[in-house]
Amino acid sequence: MTVAETLAEGDAAPEVLGPAGPVAGKPAPGGRRGLALLLAARGLPRWLLWTGLALTLLFVVLAIFAEWIAPYGFNQYMAHGVRFPQQGAPSALHWFGTTVDSEDVLSRVVYGARTSIEVVLLAVCFSIIVGVPLGLVSGYFGGWLDRLLVLVNDSIFAFPYLLLAIVIAFLLQGSVGGGVITAAIAITVVYIPQYFRVVRNTVLSVREEPYVEAGKALGARPRTVIRRYVFANVIQSVPVVASLNAADAILTLASLSFLGIGMDPSVAAEWGYDVSRGIADAQAGYWWTGMFPGLAIILLVMGLTLVGEGLNDTLNPLLRRPGYRRVVLPPVESATAAAALGNGVAGPPAVAATETGEPVIAVSGLRVWYGSDRGPVKAVDGVSFEVAPGEMLGLVGESGCGKTSLGRGLLGLLPEAASCDGEIRFGGRNLLAASAAEMRAMRGPALGLVFQEPMTRLDPLMRISEHFAEALHTHEPELSKDEIRERSLEALGSVGIPPTRFDNYPHEFSGGMRQRIMIALTLALRPRFVVADEPTTALDVLVEAQILALLSELKTRTRAGFLLITHNLGIVAEACERVAVMYAGRIVEQGLVPEVFARPQHPYTEALLASTISLSTESLRFIPGSPPDLVDPPTGCRFHPRCPLAMEVCRAQLPARVVSGTGHVVECWAQCPPESIPPGGDARLSTKEIAVADEA
Amino acid sequence: MASKSGSLRRYLVTRLLLVVPMVFILLTLVFVLMRVAPGNPILAALGGHLTQAQLAVRERAGGYDRPLIVQYGDYLGQVLTGHFGTTLTDQRPVTQVIAQNGAATLELTVSAMMVAIAVGIPLGMLAGRMRDTWVDAIARIFGIFIYAIPVFFLGLLAQLLFGHILNWLPTSSQASVLVQAELQPHTNILIIDAIIDGQWGDIPDLLAHLALPALCLGLVISGVVVRLVRVNVIQTMKGDYIEAARARGLRERDVVVHHAFKNALVPIVTVTGLQAALLLSGAVLTEETFNWPGIGNELIYYLENRDYIAVQGIITVFALAVVAISLLIDLVNAWVDPRVRY
Repeated sequence: MTVAETLAEGDAAPEVLGPAGPVAGKPAPGGRRGLALLLAARGLPRWLLWTGLALTLLFVVLAIFAEWIAPYGFNQYMAHGVRFPQQGAPSALHWFGTTVDSEDVLSRVVYGARTSIEVVLLAVCFSIIVGVPLGLVSGYFGGWLDRLLVLVNDSIFAFPYLLLAIVIAFLLQGSVGGGVITAAIAITVVYIPQYFRVVRNTVLSVREEPYVEAGKALGARPRTVIRRYVFANVIQSVPVVASLNAADAILTLASLSFLGIGMDPSVAAEWGYDVSRGIADAQAGYWWTGMFPGLAIILLVMGLTLVGEGLNDTLNPLLRRPGYRRVVLPPVESATAAAALGNGVAGPPAVAATETGEPVIAVSGLRVWYGSDRGPVKAVDGVSFEVAPGEMLGLVGESGCGKTSLGRGLLGLLPEAASCDGEIRFGGRNLLAASAAEMRAMRGPALGLVFQEPMTRLDPLMRISEHFAEALHTHEPELSKDEIRERSLEALGSVGIPPTRFDNYPHEFSGGMRQRIMIALTLALRPRFVVADEPTTALDVLVEAQILALLSELKTRTRAGFLLITHNLGIVAEACERVAVMYAGRIVEQGLVPEVFARPQHPYTEALLASTISLSTESLRFIPGSPPDLVDPPTGCRFHPRCPLAMEVCRAQLPARVVSGTGHVVECWAQCPPESIPPGGDARLSTKEIAVADEA
Repeated sequence: MASKSGSLRRYLVTRLLLVVPMVFILLTLVFVLMRVAPGNPILAALGGHLTQAQLAVRERAGGYDRPLIVQYGDYLGQVLTGHFGTTLTDQRPVTQVIAQNGAATLELTVSAMMVAIAVGIPLGMLAGRMRDTWVDAIARIFGIFIYAIPVFFLGLLAQLLFGHILNWLPTSSQASVLVQAELQPHTNILIIDAIIDGQWGDIPDLLAHLALPALCLGLVISGVVVRLVRVNVIQTMKGDYIEAARARGLRERDVVVHHAFKNALVPIVTVTGLQAALLLSGAVLTEETFNWPGIGNELIYYLENRDYIAVQGIITVFALAVVAISLLIDLVNAWVDPRVRY
């Protein structure tokens, strides 16, 4: 996943609505890795987690050691033959005061902790024992059984939980009595649906994973695959649900006792019951009888909720935020090779010979770096090119070579964690020096961006007409409504969308049509430079051809400059005048398309071209090795570990740029005149050395 | 536009059809619950007060000696024709109990929901927009804290502070005795009744009595709303169309308010509606705390008196209410979000 995409991730819509809020039902890492993640948690999640654990632990200690901690028994109303004061205020003998029945409030709070923890522990265990297997069975077998169970489950889930617990507690008390078990069972029934739902979701999501399908196709028994993964995932999602359930269960127990159908007061102390008596006391101003039990409830529930939330934030990979932050860019390495060498070496590439006059945009020495835990990610590391009016420059490269960061960087749409420097000359100024407000004003009327995924790029709640109206009104507020409509229809017409569809919603269009609408929307504002970031990757071939033809036609008509980012050489051949090949954050070769494709000068370009497939391809050719790590790229020429022509100097220094005739620029030592290579530098690197360099 | 209203109509029909199995299941659930305890309602309510013979007479009269499946069919039939029985303890038709006390609960829950939304949505949006800043941290902790407070404890605090210490607001009942004597019950929602009768002078009293219960319940619910809204806003802000809108140079304020917030609110409607169950549970506790004459209060009274028929009737009505609310939510959702129609 590219850096940009990773940064765009973060909170995903949680799948399950837990009692205290959303809980993600997606698989989380477990075991040692989970523990490591917990310890590495930073910021708010860490505070949540550790505070929660501390609070919970406090009450667990109270529960276990109640006899030693509490000064008196929970029902005790006298000592040494002397009765305790009735509703006595907090004093030295009774730190929290006494109740209407002369019981010590502090002792009742301590023993209440034991009651709560006991009941809730039982209830959660029961719920898990019943809910998890049911969820497994339902998710695994599917069919009518699943549908029935889901319907029953949802119905129980929809019912007010307290009423359910009340009725069950009531009925059980009539027959079994009001002890810990009764309360636990009443609460259990309420929470079984939670576990059922989470576990079932986990099973379903695992079942639909491609690796299960693939496993089946390869003959592996699906049952083993599912069992292994489901078990692991269930084990990992249950703790979060259990913590949040436990928190809720404390409240439910307290509520039951408050209403008088929880624990039998002669059997055990319970906070909710104490609060109910405290309300009557409050009328007379005796605040302590209800206050302290109430505070205890709050603290324990908060503790458990914080644990659940903290676990959720920390363990759930979807919610974890990668540690990207801004980094300070070091000054550019003084052009070591370039300065030292003479002939055939040049600075920024010349403009394409076909065009005269100013380029629409001229980039020189652009760098885009992100700071990460392992070091700066050098997504774009010194890139220079120009685009002339009415020209489309194709930017090709593998995934992860920095193309997207480059495209976004030109428009100033990089995430906060990105640092840039260099120069982007557009409209007589350096865009990198422009303020955010100035960039915003330019995006639209001067700079345009067409995205890759058309399906999700339009606001689903707004009609197409409203999209246009909003964009046009923001940048050209003097336009009247009729003029806006006219401009919009004109733009839509030029991409082939009929005016009858003008008021439709985005979901009423196909992917290809949506992409055309996006293009129309971008071009309606009449930008002078448009970045098209893989505009056809998500579309089928036929639609792709249409879109490309459309872009070409628009390019000719509007005379805007286009930067077409793609990994598909075929598209470049068809639609672009010039091409730039990008590798590991640098442009290794650029020039006119016919020239570069017919006579590639860089080994990487050559290998790319050789690996393209056509109808006449008989065997696959690929480039050995894998794309380099952008945090720690190979020294010298980034491509040298995979290059068949690699020499000593390639490993040591960045190659100089070599310019030939028609603006064909390449960065490769093999193309440099031999006298420019330092002595001994031309020794070929052995394959073994290359392999090692690759792994380094 | 093609079939916009048609598809909404189709959705309505389909959704209504789905109500049937859900109601059926809930009713079965209620019936099963009420028969879980050994014996029958008559025995449970009056056993120990009457002789065996007298009990037998009543059992036969109430039809409790017939096979369970027959009783089940009877129960379903009664419910579907709107007969929920008559209470054992005070011989009121359950429907009357629902009408009178239900109105008070309605008044309370609707007011509480308004409070929850008024507090929860702005806070949640603020937190979502300012993610990972101190504003967000406080909003999140607020959400957790508020949820951790039992509504009856919040009620206790409110009564202590506003009742006992400050003496600003009344702490129990729906209205003071004088006002209650004055008002004619039309809808049983006293505020509306007062408006109907033109008794404007009574309204401040009614509002004063409503204030503490509604605020307490509303605040507790708002905790959940804050957290749900926050997550939704964060999720929406990551949307592709948000990035596309920025790429078109729209002002950040427009992007956030017109695109992000609007989209974030769509699932909020559903999710807030899902809090109805939470709201009803909380209402029972709130009514007990403030002696509010709602249906929850009545339920507790009948439970204490072991009036099974009343309990069964009330629980049945609750179940039906839940189904109705979820239906309503789905319909509103379909109306708001054009993608949701079948």
